[in-house]
Formats: sequence, structure tokens, C-alpha cells
Amino acid sequence: MSSAVGMLADTITPFALSALKYGLFALLFLFIWRSMRWVVRGLSVAEAAPAADRGGRAREPGPTLPPGSSTLLVKGQSDAKPRTVRLSASMTIGRAPECELRVEDTYASQQHARLFAKNNSWFVEDLGSTNGTFVNDQKLAAPAMLQPGDKVRVGQTIMELRR
Amino acid sequence: MSALPAPASRPKTGLLLLLISLVASIAAYGMVGLGLRGRVPSDIVIYGLTLGGAYLLAWGVVRWVAPRADPVLLPIAGMLGGLGLAMIYRLLPADIADEQALWLLIGLAAFVLTLVVVRDDRVLDGYTYTIGLLGLMLLLLPVVPGIGLTINGARLWARVGPFTFQPAEFGKILIVIFLASYLSAKRELLEAGVGRLGLPRAKDLGPLLLAWGASLAVLFLERDLGASMLFFGIFVVMLWIASGRLGYLLTGGLLFALGGAIGYLALPHVQNRVAYWLHALEPANVHDIGYGQLAQSWFALASGGLVGTGLGRGSPDLIPFPASDFILSAFGEELGMLGTAAILLLFVGLIGRGLRIALDRVDAFGRLLATGLTVTIALQTFTIAAGVTRLIPLTGVPLPLVSYGGTSRVATFIMIALLVRISAGPWQPARRSAT
Repeated sequence: MSSAVGMLADTITPFALSALKYGLFALLFLFIWRSMRWVVRGLSVAEAAPAADRGGRAREPGPTLPPGSSTLLVKGQSDAKPRTVRLSASMTIGRAPECELRVEDTYASQQHARLFAKNNSWFVEDLGSTNGTFVNDQKLAAPAMLQPGDKVRVGQTIMELRR
Repeated sequence: MSALPAPASRPKTGLLLLLISLVASIAAYGMVGLGLRGRVPSDIVIYGLTLGGAYLLAWGVVRWVAPRADPVLLPIAGMLGGLGLAMIYRLLPADIADEQALWLLIGLAAFVLTLVVVRDDRVLDGYTYTIGLLGLMLLLLPVVPGIGLTINGARLWARVGPFTFQPAEFGKILIVIFLASYLSAKRELLEAGVGRLGLPRAKDLGPLLLAWGASLAVLFLERDLGASMLFFGIFVVMLWIASGRLGYLLTGGLLFALGGAIGYLALPHVQNRVAYWLHALEPANVHDIGYGQLAQSWFALASGGLVGTGLGRGSPDLIPFPASDFILSAFGEELGMLGTAAILLLFVGLIGRGLRIALDRVDAFGRLLATGLTVTIALQTFTIAAGVTRLIPLTGVPLPLVSYGGTSRVATFIMIALLVRISAGPWQPARRSAT
């Protein structure tokens, strides 16, 4: 009796083991397939979609540049009239020649601040400048989102975001 | 219609993945019993309930304290942890494996605790030097007489009361936080470079040389090749990411080669590692423990073939230390190439998500911290996976979350908790109140 059970176990065990093994593979690759969709989805820049779409607006693939052409009205201490600068996806502001937006301002650092587009909005971030970056006269502690009409001050240069 | 799943499907995705990882972990445990003793372990229900309870509790806490967080990190960690634990039950006596199961639960508790305590990762940015100093202290703790312990030739352990642990595992996390904080503050200075490759200026080499010296100190004082390489690697990669200058990577690589050469010439322990690596398969060496472990690792991978023998049916115990350094080879023998590929893909997923989380953040600190934590896990995985497959000389670091080792498991769970926290964090700063 017990030997019969033993024999039964001997024939069933390898079968059960194989079934379990292939079942485990199925689970593993199902898991990888389901999770990889998340991983891969996030890695392509075009699809780095704004997870911030809380409003339920249909999400469009494409650049994360805010819609419409945005410009910046720049007025330095020595400028008589403000000049208009067209914004690109990421711009460094500072005195250094390699800055996309150069300011002739003795109170500005070499690499003072950075303007960039993300999730369909403009942001400004201080790059560790000596005198700080101000948005509407509030000193920046962390990157801040900009709305049209906001005034960014770097040294004595004032920049206003226009749509 | 949008081809991408809506954000609302996130919690469901996460829960589904977590349940798959739970079922797979329990199935692996059942398979171990069946393979080893011909019957499903009698305690599989308790095992499943305990593991399931812990996973779901951790998931619930993530939903509660970080509702907008990444949905796949915890399930991936759960899958790796569950598979690793099943393999540990297969390789080690039950009482030691029970202890490791307890460490997995402690790891999940540490994960939850980290998320509850660190409500905003930017708080960590405020204690740059305190955290840095603490990290350095933990790193050097094993050298202190009376506290430090030497096990298997490496002076890595510290004993405080009844507990023995590897303080460097926690020191590593603190150092990554320190570097993220320090480098994000000094980014402007680092960005200056010389020439087209952006080689660092001589006066900016200070921190790099300091980290290099510290890594060599770890190598010579603690005899720990793995940790030494890991620290220097993390530092160089973070410096490169923070500065955006390829020059730091090149200079770092050069210093790494120099440090490697010094280590090789001065330490017989390092010379042995290289000899084992080069001559593992020479017939005269196969029964030597040093050479033999690499040979046995290869034999295990080869005998596993495509689908493996099934858990419990191979003989990975022929490899010395199969549960710690060589756990990937044990999987190779018993779950074959498919199993090892699945494990490596899980790590690819973990690392891919980590880097994506870094890219999603707008602030330099969050970006650097996520990158640093991800790179730590990535370098460690590469070092041990490439070591056991004989791509590079073997350095004993645990395979994160999978290998035997309580401290490493808990530390990795804390790192993943921080990544989850960063993913929930202010990737979009709150709008200032309208004026």
C-alpha cells in the first residue's frame, strides 16, 4: 500500500515539478511583460508624457514644449528698451559666454539660472547663484513653474514670460 | 484614443503585479519542497499568508503615504525577494533560511518606515554634512577595534550587542544622499571644464582624488574589493551626471585603473582574484576552492541548459557559498537560462524605472539622488552577475534582494523606498499662490 503511494508519488512528482516550473516561467514573464510596458513607456522622450494630466485632457505624444510660441521680455539695468527673446526647451541664463541667454549684469553669476520646459509648462531653476533668482520678488528655493506675466529677476535684469 | 494607459490605472497595475509576484514567490517555495523532498512543504499556507500579508501591507502604506508613486518598484522588489528566499530555503538549512525570511520581513518594515518617516525627500537635502559624516563613520566602523569583526578575510562586520551587521551597507545610502546634496549645490563649479572632452580643471580634481583615496583606504583597511569599487564607481558616475562632463568619467576611469593596479601589486588577495578568474578551468585547479568556485559556477550554468533542472533537483551545493555570491548560478542550474534571464530582466526593469524617476524630477537634488540610488543597485548587480559568469574577476557583493544577507536586503529595501518617495515627489512644483 505504502509502496504504491510511493510509486504514485514518484511518477507524479516529476510531472508536478515540471508543471510548476513552466507555471513559474509563465508567471515570471507575464510579470516582466506587464511591468516592462511601464518601464519602456517611460524611457522614450516623446512619450515621457505628463503624468500631471489630471484634468483628463487627451494626451498627445510630442514635445513637452508648452503650446504656442513663448517669448521672454528681457530688460537689463543698462537697457533702455526691453528686448524679446524666443524661448527654447532649455536655456541657461548667466554672464558666461556659453549661456543661451547672456545677461550683462554685474550682480548675475556666470551660470545663474535655467529656464526649461517640462510637462507643458515653463520652469525656472536657480543654478546655485550668488545673489539668488527671484520670481515675482520671491526668492527661489526650488524650481518653480512660471505662468505668463510672471517676472523673473536675475541680478538686476528682469525677465517677463509672454505667450 | 490615447495608446497609453491612463494614470488612473496605476494602482490596479501595481496591485496586479504585486499579486503575480506573490503567487510566483509562493509557487517557487512549493517547488523547492517538491523538488527536495517530493512533497509540498506543510507550512506553505503560513508562508504564503505571512509573505502576502507583508507585501499587501507595504503596498497599502505606499498607497496611503505616497499615492502618486511609482507602481512597479515594490512588485519588482517583492518578486526578487521572494525568488531569492525560495532559493535560500533550497540551499540552506531551514533554521538559517527562517532567519533570512525574517530579514525579508524586516526589510519590508524598513521600506514602510522609510516612506512614513521621509515624507518629502528634499528634507534630506538640508543635512548635507551631518549625513555625509554619519555615512563615513558607518563606512569606517568595522575598522574600530572592539566593534569590528573579520569574517572570511574581509573586515566588514560590526558587532553591537547581539547584532552583527555590515554598517557599510547603510553607509552607502547615506553617502549617496550626501553626494546628491553636495553635488547639486556645487553644480555650477563642476560644470567648468577644459577642452572638448571637458576634462576637469586641476583645482576641481580635489573631491575626485579624495574619493579615490577613501576607496583605496577601504580596500587596504577592510580588505573589501567589492565595496571599494562600488564606492568609487558611484562617486564617479554621480559626478559625471551632476556636471554633464564626460571628462569626469574619463578621469575617474583612469584613476580606477591606477587604483586597481596599486591594489593588484600590493595585495595578494587581489592577485588571487585575478588568477582565479583567468585560470578557473585549468584541470589542475578545478578542485581548489578559489578556482573551483568559478569552475563550479560555470558547470552549474551549463548543466542548467535552457529551462533548468527544476528547483531542488540540481546540485548547486557543489559551488562554495551558493546562497550568497553564487545565487545567480544556482538559479542558472535549477531554472536554466530562462530563469536567469528573467531575474536579470527584473533588474533591468528596476534600473530603468529608477532612471526614469530621476528624469521626471525637475530639481537637481531629486534627480541626483534617484540616479545615485539606481546606479548603486545597477553597479552591484553588474559586479556580481559578471563575476559569477566570469566576465570580470569575482568580487563578493550580494545580488541585491536575492542573495543571502540580512543587512544588504534591508538596505536595498530602504533604497527602493527612497526611489518610491522620489517618484511621488515634486516633479511638478506646487503653483505659488496667485498674487
